[in-house]
Amino acid sequence: MSEITLIEETARRTIADGLTPAVIEAAEHGAWAGELWDQLAAQGLLQPAAIAQDAAEALEIEAAVIRAITAAATPLPVVETILAGAFLVQHRLEVPAAPLSLAAFDDSDRLSLTNGRVSGRLARVPWGRDVAAVVAVAGDCLLLLETRSANPSRGLNMANEPRDTLEFKEATPLARATGVDSDALLARCAAARALQLAEAAARVLELTVEYAANRKQFGRPIGNFQAIQHQIAAAASEVASARVAAQQARLALAAGKNALMACAIAKARANDAAAAVARMGHQVHGAIGFTQEYQLHRYTRRIQSWRHEFGASAYWNRRIGELILRDGERSVWSILTATA
Amino acid sequence: MKTPFFDARMDFPEMERTRAEIREFLARDPATKTPHADSWSHFDPEFSRRLGAAGFIGMTWPKRYGGHERSSLERYVVVEELLAAGAPSAAHWIADRQTGPQLLRFGTEAQKQDILPRIARGECYCSIGMSEPDSGSDLASVRTRARRDGDTWVINGRKIWTSYAHRSHYVLMLCRTGEDPAARQQGLSQILVPLDASGLTIRPIINMAGDHDFNELLFEDVRVPADALLGQEGQGWNQVISELAFERSGPERFLSSFVLLEAFVERARREPSADAAMLIGSLIARLAPLRGMSMSIAVQLGRGEQPNFEAALVKETGSLFEQDLAELIMREVVPAADLTSADKFQRLLAEAVLHAPSFSIRGGTREILRGIIARELGLR
Ligand SMILES: Cc1cc2nc3c(=O)[nH]c(=O)nc-3n(C[C@H](O)[C@H](O)[C@H](O)COP(=O)(O)OP(=O)(O)OC[C@H]3O[C@@H](n4cnc5c(N)ncnc54)[C@H](O)[C@@H]3O)c2cc1C
Repeated sequence: MSEITLIEETARRTIADGLTPAVIEAAEHGAWAGELWDQLAAQGLLQPAAIAQDAAEALEIEAAVIRAITAAATPLPVVETILAGAFLVQHRLEVPAAPLSLAAFDDSDRLSLTNGRVSGRLARVPWGRDVAAVVAVAGDCLLLLETRSANPSRGLNMANEPRDTLEFKEATPLARATGVDSDALLARCAAARALQLAEAAARVLELTVEYAANRKQFGRPIGNFQAIQHQIAAAASEVASARVAAQQARLALAAGKNALMACAIAKARANDAAAAVARMGHQVHGAIGFTQEYQLHRYTRRIQSWRHEFGASAYWNRRIGELILRDGERSVWSILTATA
Repeated sequence: MKTPFFDARMDFPEMERTRAEIREFLARDPATKTPHADSWSHFDPEFSRRLGAAGFIGMTWPKRYGGHERSSLERYVVVEELLAAGAPSAAHWIADRQTGPQLLRFGTEAQKQDILPRIARGECYCSIGMSEPDSGSDLASVRTRARRDGDTWVINGRKIWTSYAHRSHYVLMLCRTGEDPAARQQGLSQILVPLDASGLTIRPIINMAGDHDFNELLFEDVRVPADALLGQEGQGWNQVISELAFERSGPERFLSSFVLLEAFVERARREPSADAAMLIGSLIARLAPLRGMSMSIAVQLGRGEQPNFEAALVKETGSLFEQDLAELIMREVVPAADLTSADKFQRLLAEAVLHAPSFSIRGGTREILRGIIARELGLR
């Protein structure tokens, strides 16, 4: 466990050094934070599988890195690169030492594979313009596709992070493997986004507690007002449950047991928890929280964007419900206790 | 800012063994034929005796006091299985969860030997004598007084909302024993009073679901021996506080209406719809992490820690969940909720809806819990 703490510390230090206000500002306007990226890569933080003993440890390292980058709202495709790498490793493919990204693994992916050539479209690929390649699925085939020839049309999420649409015309994949379960990839991505949401919410909570203790009105800190205390307390409960849900998903993934259910729960829970915490954070901050100058929006804009990625709440709630309804043999309780 | 500790890793093989045992017991027991919402408010001494005989009460206590020396997680598993089955568990609940552990921690050897084995057998039941007509959330303001007279305590005052005092054997009282009115918390002591003591009048209070669960207790010169004191004189407040995590973190803080969800799913399996799937999913997504949080606390309690912050978070999140469960199902379905219905779903819906208001009152109100969380976060 101390190994994991060490990795998290390393990641936090690297980001604290590299993510200067100037870098943040430039990234908001579309610049690639290349120096910070190179530092993170040099520390070996982008490929947990390469330094972990087993899959469970790789997931814990991944979580440590996610905690660190999210606490600083790092504008880089770290999660995407880690997951793309993990999927390649899982399918015994080589992982290129370059920034990578991911398809959405849902209905918005429109790829076909004929005679070894890939055509079609991937919508809203994170940092599609900046990454070297993207991991996607066509049929039961896992594909690594070069982005260079994919003619990215640019888009942004609400945090001004690139979400670019890629067009492929008879492209030859850099690598491919068969027997992929696209649903499992979606679930794995959802679990990672869930952790990002939980950690962004935790940061909003932390900023809000600090602010409430310092901001004075009517001659006392606003944190003295019970109406403020209660909003913050309710938000603390949301953060705790979202974090635990994210950990449960990780544990299920590591155990290879009921992972779809646990990942679905994590994303549904984190979506709603983070949204509630973001709303609370803004309320307690008053007008300052609504400005560019103060940092609250760096987290809340990400929360609002991530809620919709790799499954919004309605999508996962319905999937969880269907998993239960179609399991006609077992009680809800036995399904739930098997998920633990 | 203080961060609560939660660790959902549960690699404890004994848990699943215990789960199999309690499930086998419950599957065979007649009491689970009719499951109840808020089943830890259904008093059935026969059931509690059978449960005790099977070794599922006082599970973590030493064997010399009738316990079974099992882990706090094994106890957790049993408790959650009782709730999930809707088993009538009120008779032994408070004694097993609260009074027993308090006796174990603060009691004299004689008290422990006398009472704990009876509790563990499912034969001896306890009530909590904390609230008073003028002291609810502000518990430290209690006025019921115990005065020392030779080798007895003489108790005068009133207690209220005392659950099952009319069917239990003891009430563990929080009384004022100190003289200094300024020292609110220091002047309090815990005293164990037999419920058949003379001078003690028990008046029923019927709750809005029509049940006689709680009572008002009038103490008029009730005399108990000096050794009825639990722990130290003047330490009552600290003793009560030290057990709060046991009271607030358990699965009864989010599973009270669970049997209703089970019945709703049974119905929805007969007539599946996207709406029902969505509702079920949204509830499960809240319930699963709550279990993780509560189990994590059970592990901490087993290590002798006092996770009061974490327990407050469970109770805050849990009571909202178990209230919403009834509320959201009410929004979804058409058939009338009916306490007297032969249809299980209709009956459970009525039970859950009628009990739900109490979920965020008993064991500390939502507002008090949020205040505790705010204090832990450094805001008070
Ligand atoms: C089903 C049930 C069983 C119970 N069983 C027992 C039992 O066995 N033994 C026992 O001793 N007690 C028992 N109780 C009593 C319970 O502990 C009290 O109801 C609880 O502590 C609240 O006290 P109160 O009802 O007097 O409400 P009050 O304290 O009067 O509160 C009324 C409202 O005011 C709010 N409020 C109070 N103080 C503050 C504050 N400082 N800031 C903001 N809001 C505040 C409360 O949150 C609540 O919303 C039971 C209660 C119920 C519902």
